[in-house]
Amino acid sequence: MPANEMKSKINRAMWVILGTSVLISAPGGVVLAHDPVFGIGPHVLFKNGIEVSTHLEQEKAGLEKESELALELVYGITGDWAAGIELPYSSKDDGVKSSSGQSDIRVFTKYRFWREDSLGLQESAAVMLAVNLQNGDEKEDPPLGNGATDVIAGLTYGYEGLKWYRWASARYLVPGENSSGLRLGDQWLVDLVGGWRPAAPDYLKPDTVWLLELNGEITGRAELNGTSLVDSGGTEWFVSPGIFWTKRNFALKAGIQLPVVSDLNGSQDKSDYRIKASFELHL
Amino acid sequence: MKITTIIFIIIALTGSGLGLAAGTRYELRVDGLACPFCAYGIEKKFTRTEGVESVEIDLKNGLVIVNTSEGKKFSEDQLKTIIDDTGFTLRSVSVKPR
Repeated sequence: MPANEMKSKINRAMWVILGTSVLISAPGGVVLAHDPVFGIGPHVLFKNGIEVSTHLEQEKAGLEKESELALELVYGITGDWAAGIELPYSSKDDGVKSSSGQSDIRVFTKYRFWREDSLGLQESAAVMLAVNLQNGDEKEDPPLGNGATDVIAGLTYGYEGLKWYRWASARYLVPGENSSGLRLGDQWLVDLVGGWRPAAPDYLKPDTVWLLELNGEITGRAELNGTSLVDSGGTEWFVSPGIFWTKRNFALKAGIQLPVVSDLNGSQDKSDYRIKASFELHL
Repeated sequence: MKITTIIFIIIALTGSGLGLAAGTRYELRVDGLACPFCAYGIEKKFTRTEGVESVEIDLKNGLVIVNTSEGKKFSEDQLKTIIDDTGFTLRSVSVKPR
């Protein structure tokens, strides 16, 4: 393969790696109802309920910037099982070139297999499964998708009380290989979250919960046609303050991820910040 | 005296009839209620049920109060299913005429 062509492939691979980190690390379609902003929780949706939400996300790393607007629809299959779809639209800029358009659609499901309810308190655990499709145009520059189908599986625990919240979750991403021979590295996503509600909740009044998350991303190296890419993979940890504001069936969630540990392989740009805001309506 | 007694009986019968015509009040003790946003499903499920006039949710005390119109009755199993479908646990039910 000519050197120019290889260099072009590697550059494209780098953008796919950066771009995919937003799709993967942002919980996107698997975030339901009263879940953390960036991590996941065990909450689902009431039976036959419908959740309509929009998410705005932005990530910056060095000169590279990506913004995403997504529409998400979730359906409550039972009181402990929900499924949904996320339709994202991305805009990317690497400081020289830019692209925008539909990025990889995500379909997902979450099943709450354990629940322990008491007065003013719910503890529960759930498993989730998500699939990132490969509809985003990888030929765009920067690419809008990674050209492969990825699978994410996760386990989450939550403690939700009248005053205090805590969540713990772990997700594992197995990326597919695209037609150019690029396969991103496997990734672990780990989240620990605490929440505090300063005022006792009243069902008909606005309710506020303050959140603080610790989000970790441990990523293996990507491979291009079996060759490990030097400037890929690594570990990043973020501290993420956020807020969850609701009134009856409407919710607003917002937060910012601030990197506290960056140990990335090779010469990758460290994350500067990630921000996210979600608007959710239950019908 | 007889007339007074008759009038009293008539009033008592009418009063009890009105009580029946006013429907039923169900006080549900529900566990797991901590979040107003999450509790919306309870309101939705009950208000979409024919014969339900109002629903009140008291998160702090774990209470859901459902007022129904005359003739609308819930069995305990029906209430348990509704609460379970919203993701919570029914602990007990108290039924009172309104």
